[in-house]
Amino acid sequence: MAETNVKEATASTIISFAEKLEDNSSRFYRKMAERYPEDREIFLAFAKESEKNKVLVIRTYQETITDAIEAGFSFKGLNLSDYSIKIDLSEEASYLDALKAALELEKKAKKFYVDMAEQSSSLLATIPRAFRKVAEIRDKRMLKLKSLIDRSE
Amino acid sequence: MAILEEPIKEIIQLKNYIGGKWVESKGEVIDVVNPATCKVIAKVPISTTDELNAAVETAKKAFPEWRRTPPLARARCLFRLKELMEERFEELSRIQTMEHGKTIDESRGETRRGIESVEVATGIPSLMMGYNLEDIATGIDEYVIRQPLGVFGIIGPFNFPFMVPLWFAPYAVASGNCIIIKPSSEDPISQVKIAELAEEAGFPDGIWNVVNGGRTVVSGMLAHPDIEGICFVGSTPVARDVIYRRCGETGKRVIAQAGAKNFLLVMPDADLDRTIAACMTSFYGNTGQRCLSGANLIVVGEGLNENQYNAFYKKVVDAFVDAASKIRVGYGLDESVQIGPLRDKSKKERVLEYVEKGVEEGARLSLDGRNIKLVGDWPQTCFLNPTVFEDVTPDMTIGREEIFGPVASIFKARSLDEAIEIIHSNPFGNAASIFTLSGKWAREFQYRVQCGNIGINIGINAPMAFFPFSGMKDSFFGVLHGQGQEAIRFFTESKVVIQRWF
Repeated sequence: MAETNVKEATASTIISFAEKLEDNSSRFYRKMAERYPEDREIFLAFAKESEKNKVLVIRTYQETITDAIEAGFSFKGLNLSDYSIKIDLSEEASYLDALKAALELEKKAKKFYVDMAEQSSSLLATIPRAFRKVAEIRDKRMLKLKSLIDRSE
Repeated sequence: MAILEEPIKEIIQLKNYIGGKWVESKGEVIDVVNPATCKVIAKVPISTTDELNAAVETAKKAFPEWRRTPPLARARCLFRLKELMEERFEELSRIQTMEHGKTIDESRGETRRGIESVEVATGIPSLMMGYNLEDIATGIDEYVIRQPLGVFGIIGPFNFPFMVPLWFAPYAVASGNCIIIKPSSEDPISQVKIAELAEEAGFPDGIWNVVNGGRTVVSGMLAHPDIEGICFVGSTPVARDVIYRRCGETGKRVIAQAGAKNFLLVMPDADLDRTIAACMTSFYGNTGQRCLSGANLIVVGEGLNENQYNAFYKKVVDAFVDAASKIRVGYGLDESVQIGPLRDKSKKERVLEYVEKGVEEGARLSLDGRNIKLVGDWPQTCFLNPTVFEDVTPDMTIGREEIFGPVASIFKARSLDEAIEIIHSNPFGNAASIFTLSGKWAREFQYRVQCGNIGINIGINAPMAFFPFSGMKDSFFGVLHGQGQEAIRFFTESKVVIQRWF
């Protein structure tokens, strides 16, 4: 039998974190769109996608949560600061620097959703499914960002 | 961790909702207090018998037209109510945390459960259908139709101020009846908010009524000849000796859901990690104030020799106590908090009496929740941390009676048979769970245990809205249960028609 790890985060904490992650991502990409007009449409699409991700995650949680699931005890052994993202872009940042920062952001965000999907497998299926879906979206963004980086290097 | 924004900024003066109007009561007014902050958040009237009678009269007048309203049209009111509840999901949830004390996750869970009952009741065109058979004799057909009865009283408990009245109300109105809800005077805000939404959803006047109050309103409902039935959730003495008895005397239909003392069995093959997480939710969720809460944990040594059993027992108890000791207690609007306060000071005092009784009777206090540690700076008035007792036996007060607080009692049993005997020695029969990977043990448990809601690797055996909320022995008084098809049967009369055309 496995050791019981009791350093839990509540479902509400995780969902709020996801909400902030998507808000910050959206803000970041809108800034990118303003600053780097050559790929404006790509960044605006990412920003809109993040807004949709936020709706998806909140809706899934609100439709899944019931008093009978272990919502207060489901996410264990976490340090949420591991998933914090930086959204500040210095004035001097080159386009390449900005793309690399975006890639880092996506890596952390993807890891957050993958880890949370795994942790929430004891909840009703829709929550990990939603997390996995957002992780896939983040994964696709990483591919796109890598191609932009290759082009810029 | 920051506190989520409180939706109640000023003290709310609650009114009754009678006949589609918001009416001030002439009765005494009492405070509704947020148990975490100890601040008054609302004033609720203790309505008079005359005010209840006015509600019954208006509901009775509204009934004939409502029952003639096509089921689909009635369902549309419920669809609108559901949509309004979804729109206000977060506000409704935070209000529950403020008036009851539960955590925000628990409140959202309660909101969802309540909405699910509304959702299920929107299926009334199918749910209410009767049945028929042609040619029961030559040229004669027979069929059953379901007809509503009139006015029903719904008496809500304090522990689920939003959800529990919705185990009944949507089904009652969907099937063409009118309702009068008396919320708990301790946390009545949720039901007043739901009535506001029912008004907005377009229910005709007099269909959905709320009369705030206490015993006077309950006695008035029980005595009133125009109330066809009562739905009640509360303690066993009130359910059995007041509600069930008076309904019997006055010929009313009754659903009286009562107290509980729920057992959870941990078998040697259980997935301990997940079992402990489920146990924490079960024993301490809603601060132990739910009729489906785990109360007694039995560590079962089926198939183990003495040494193996001792080692297994220690492993389970150590994990349980360790997890319970780390539970974060505080104001439920702090998202990091895992359990909130008890509903009020008197409830905490009652739990404290049980803890003292447990010590007096010889149980071993492995974790003492009287040592209060809170997340945040809140008055300790209503808070208790999780408590664990070991060496509890069925004859001890803490092992036998409903505590309704964050207290776990751990029992030993060497076999599944012995564990089931312990369960059956208790007068309650609300819920029981087994944690095992063995289908044989699980099936044996499900087959034999005399409890209404059985869980297999489930900590809170809460039936979904399309299943009845069951209960046995001293945990339920009545025949039909709340929720789903059984609720429809409760709120309707089966009329049989035998038809022949010459």
